[in-house]
Amino acid sequence: MNLFRLSITAFLMLSVSASAAFAETARVSTKEAVIRDDCRFLSPIKGRLNYGDELEISSREGDWLKVRSKNIKGCIHKNAVTEKQVELSGTSSKGSSASGDEVALAGKGFNPEVERSYRSKHPELDFRTVDSIEGYGVSDRTLESFISRGGLNLP
Amino acid sequence: MSSKLLAAASLLLFLCSNAHAGLFDSVTRNLGTITKAAKATEKAARPISEEEEYYVGRAVAARIVATYPLLKNPGLTEYVNSIGRTLSLHSEKPYTYGGYHFAILDSDEMNAFACPGGIIFITRGMLRAAENEEELAAVLAHEIAHINNRDGISSIKSSRWTEALTVIGSSAAKQYSSREVAQLVGIFEGSIDDIVKTLVVNGYSKSQEYAADKASIAIAQKAGYSSSALYDLLGRMAGRSTEGGITKTHPDTSDRIDNIKDLIKSRSADPSSLSRRTDRFRSAPTTR
Repeated sequence: MNLFRLSITAFLMLSVSASAAFAETARVSTKEAVIRDDCRFLSPIKGRLNYGDELEISSREGDWLKVRSKNIKGCIHKNAVTEKQVELSGTSSKGSSASGDEVALAGKGFNPEVERSYRSKHPELDFRTVDSIEGYGVSDRTLESFISRGGLNLP
Repeated sequence: MSSKLLAAASLLLFLCSNAHAGLFDSVTRNLGTITKAAKATEKAARPISEEEEYYVGRAVAARIVATYPLLKNPGLTEYVNSIGRTLSLHSEKPYTYGGYHFAILDSDEMNAFACPGGIIFITRGMLRAAENEEELAAVLAHEIAHINNRDGISSIKSSRWTEALTVIGSSAAKQYSSREVAQLVGIFEGSIDDIVKTLVVNGYSKSQEYAADKASIAIAQKAGYSSSALYDLLGRMAGRSTEGGITKTHPDTSDRIDNIKDLIKSRSADPSSLSRRTDRFRSAPTTR
């Protein structure tokens, strides 16, 4: 019976040490993303991130994740990240265990290189206009005021 | 039973002990190889990513602005973007890789197009057909629903993506060879053709349109707009004899009305808010 107890204890200790080597992380899956003060749309922006930036998830609140990245703590919507467990080295948030293959495959397929070749093949297409359309946007403050003045619901 | 449990626990301890670290490493390595192989298989059959959808959408947008010129009216464009952004934040997918952007096409044709990834076009003719902000919101919400549902991407022939995956999977290097780029550009070009043909000529399937109409009502209502706006707009369109535009690429208007009539709530918007929105719609920079 003592051996049985010893085995269970050893198993539990190994489980705990294994889980300590991992932290729940995510990566930004949109071209740009923001960390907000509160877990709601239009909450003040605390920091800006780019595609692929890594985040440590501390907790969840509905569709939002409470995260830390680049020493910024706040909230990010789950729709702007891709969640995957990444092995950490020690306590650092760096040291992703993503393999060389994964890194090489990231961004493969229809990517900027393919767009560049397509553009040179079709000089008649006006990608500068598309770039300008991508610049169309509304600031958070303008949008909040628009919603409020129109008696609409805040998201 | 307890002896079996004891044996299993002992075996586990045996495997995990430092004295047998070599065996443990070997098991871990094998498990790693199996996981890696499974991941590689998963990648080989992966769908088009959001990032790839974004590049496809940019090219589709470039094709559309080559046919329909852009209306350069900053005030009206900001108004349309304010409505569109509000709606997108209430949709199932509030963020896309490149974000939502709304642009107006200088055309009398009554139409709207959702490019994969988030660029949405609405024509001057469609803006004129809307009688208030609620109806304009209903049209934009319908297009947002097409993006949420990835309808544009689903119109790419599946054989094209299968071929693309063969090229992607065959290249071990980080950079493609010129031959591989040429292959991918050919597939990319074909994919753009498929989507533009669907958007401008053939239209989506009836089921995709009906789903987008239903989602449009849900999104608009969640944002605080009237649930009857799409119904009202379609009702007026059904009475008109228009050719081309959405009448060419969408199901019969009376069928679309039948599809959504049960979703209309008798009183879904606050009258004073409704009146404020109608006022700002009327004072918005004109398209005329």
